[in-house]
Amino acid sequence: MTRPSVLVCDDEPNLRELIRVSLGPGWTVHEAGDGEEALALARSLAPDLVVLDLMMPRLNGLEVLSTLKADPALARTRVLVVTAQPASEVEAREHGADGVIVKPFAPEDLAELAVRLVG
Amino acid sequence: MGLAAAAVAAALVTLFALLLVAILSYRDASNTARHAQQAIASANQLEILALDLETGLRGFIITRRQSSLKPWQEARRHYSSDVKQFLRLASDDPTQAERAQGVVRALDSYNAVFSLQFLEFMKRNPGPARQFILDQHAAGPHRLDPVRKGFKSFVVGEQKLADERNTTAKHTARVAIVLGAVSLGLAVLLIVLLILYLARRVARPVRLAAEAAGRLADGDLTSRVDERGVAEVGALQRAFNSMAASLERGRRELEEQNRKLRESEKVKSELVSSVSHELRTPLASILGFSDLMLQRDLDPADRRRYLELVRGEADRLAALLNDLLDLQRIEETGVQLTREELDLSKLLESQVVLYSAQSDRHALDLDTDDGCVVLADRDRLAQVVGNLLSNAIKYSPDGGVVHIEARCTGSRVRVNVRDDGMGIPLVQQRQIFTKFFRGDAGRRLGIGGTGLGLALARDIVEAHGGRIGFESLEGGGSTFWFDLPLATAGAARGVGLSDSRRSGGGS
Repeated sequence: MTRPSVLVCDDEPNLRELIRVSLGPGWTVHEAGDGEEALALARSLAPDLVVLDLMMPRLNGLEVLSTLKADPALARTRVLVVTAQPASEVEAREHGADGVIVKPFAPEDLAELAVRLVG
Repeated sequence: MGLAAAAVAAALVTLFALLLVAILSYRDASNTARHAQQAIASANQLEILALDLETGLRGFIITRRQSSLKPWQEARRHYSSDVKQFLRLASDDPTQAERAQGVVRALDSYNAVFSLQFLEFMKRNPGPARQFILDQHAAGPHRLDPVRKGFKSFVVGEQKLADERNTTAKHTARVAIVLGAVSLGLAVLLIVLLILYLARRVARPVRLAAEAAGRLADGDLTSRVDERGVAEVGALQRAFNSMAASLERGRRELEEQNRKLRESEKVKSELVSSVSHELRTPLASILGFSDLMLQRDLDPADRRRYLELVRGEADRLAALLNDLLDLQRIEETGVQLTREELDLSKLLESQVVLYSAQSDRHALDLDTDDGCVVLADRDRLAQVVGNLLSNAIKYSPDGGVVHIEARCTGSRVRVNVRDDGMGIPLVQQRQIFTKFFRGDAGRRLGIGGTGLGLALARDIVEAHGGRIGFESLEGGGSTFWFDLPLATAGAARGVGLSDSRRSGGGS
């Protein structure tokens, strides 16, 4: 069985690293540092999971989320939103987020949620 | 207005004076007529009395009866008082008085010569006296002719005099009545004019002021009235306008305060959301990596790396808290400065080195005059420069160049920090130095910051006696600048060598 692929989108390198390490060795990990890069990589890689920060330079996370969810080629891709604002959870779900986790988060919670979404 | 009222009063006084003249003239005329009647009556009475004397005496002489002498005696008794009354009534006109005296003299001489002497004569010679009277009777009674003529002339004169006086009095009265009618007409005209004047100059402005007050009450605070009214009306208009202006000013101030209040509320809520995000992001790293270290078996290299990350994020949190506390302190006590003489170009250099190391995607280009010595607080000034550099980097695209230059001119030094980033939209430029304000772009793109940096920078620069500002075009980059007074005026002279440095590139 091939490892599931994940695209981690966050403008903070430290957080990208935290998410990568939290997910553990079972994933093929790709990273994007802003919204436009995230969209481009998601389309070219069609990953199983996108972990998406809502506040990113150039293209807002919610716009990225809407575009991903509107793309039929990415219908299989699950999106896990990471936000620093608990209040934006509802908004994220309305835009089609499959899962939401609020910063700060426990690494194990993130890993479990990721596995559940893909599995 | 006072003049018109005085004119009306004068016309009315004239009117009453003329009416008085007319009334007096009429009374005069009637007095004259009565007086003339009395004088004529008195003349007639005296004439009858003279006739009584004559007929009484003649009867007595002819009949020789004592009873026949009664009319004569009666006439003698009244004679003196009737003469006196006649003379009195005739005394008001010299001609008539003379005529009356003439009549009285004739009467007196008739009395003295004929009446009394003849009576004496008759007592001594009754026969001849009787014969004399009978002869006389046949010839007609001529003895009284002068008297009767005198009376006639007096009566005619009196009548004529009365007519003349009556005519004069009536003429005077007529003239007075005509003049009275004219002044009455004049007074009415003046009153009408005065009413029209009052209506136009008083009633209308007052009505307009009342309408303006109504509009004011309905909320139209721009309502004003023409201020050219007379006297008290003008004062009323001016008072109204000044009241309206003060109301309008008051409302504008309230609206302005209200707007500021709403703005500051918005800024506060943005701060909460901003601080929340800024705290959560480093906190997520700190908690996350700590959990990893506690829960997983990591090799020492990873463990050390994670610890360094935790440490770095903790520093970020500390810096944010410092900013908040700094601002709080500055707001409460003002900026506390520990001043020393320092070379601004050296301070700029060290800040450029520091920020070059933090971003490998931007180039920082420094160009300063030498010898720009300022009397300043080193840490505070470094904070300002650091803030401007960090903003320029954050809001520029990768690969952008940030130009820093310092120029000494005259007694001041000016520092420019220019980027070719996204610039600031015009509508947000006014608020750039407002505490906790962050541009839309910053929030939308998730660019870090608390909105405190520029507010702090302004407080610090102004505490040094300097100014801070910026020029920016949306999409065309920004130039933030500040200037400071030089420590000594002479130090500004040296243009010096320009120190251009390109830093960054692969740190």
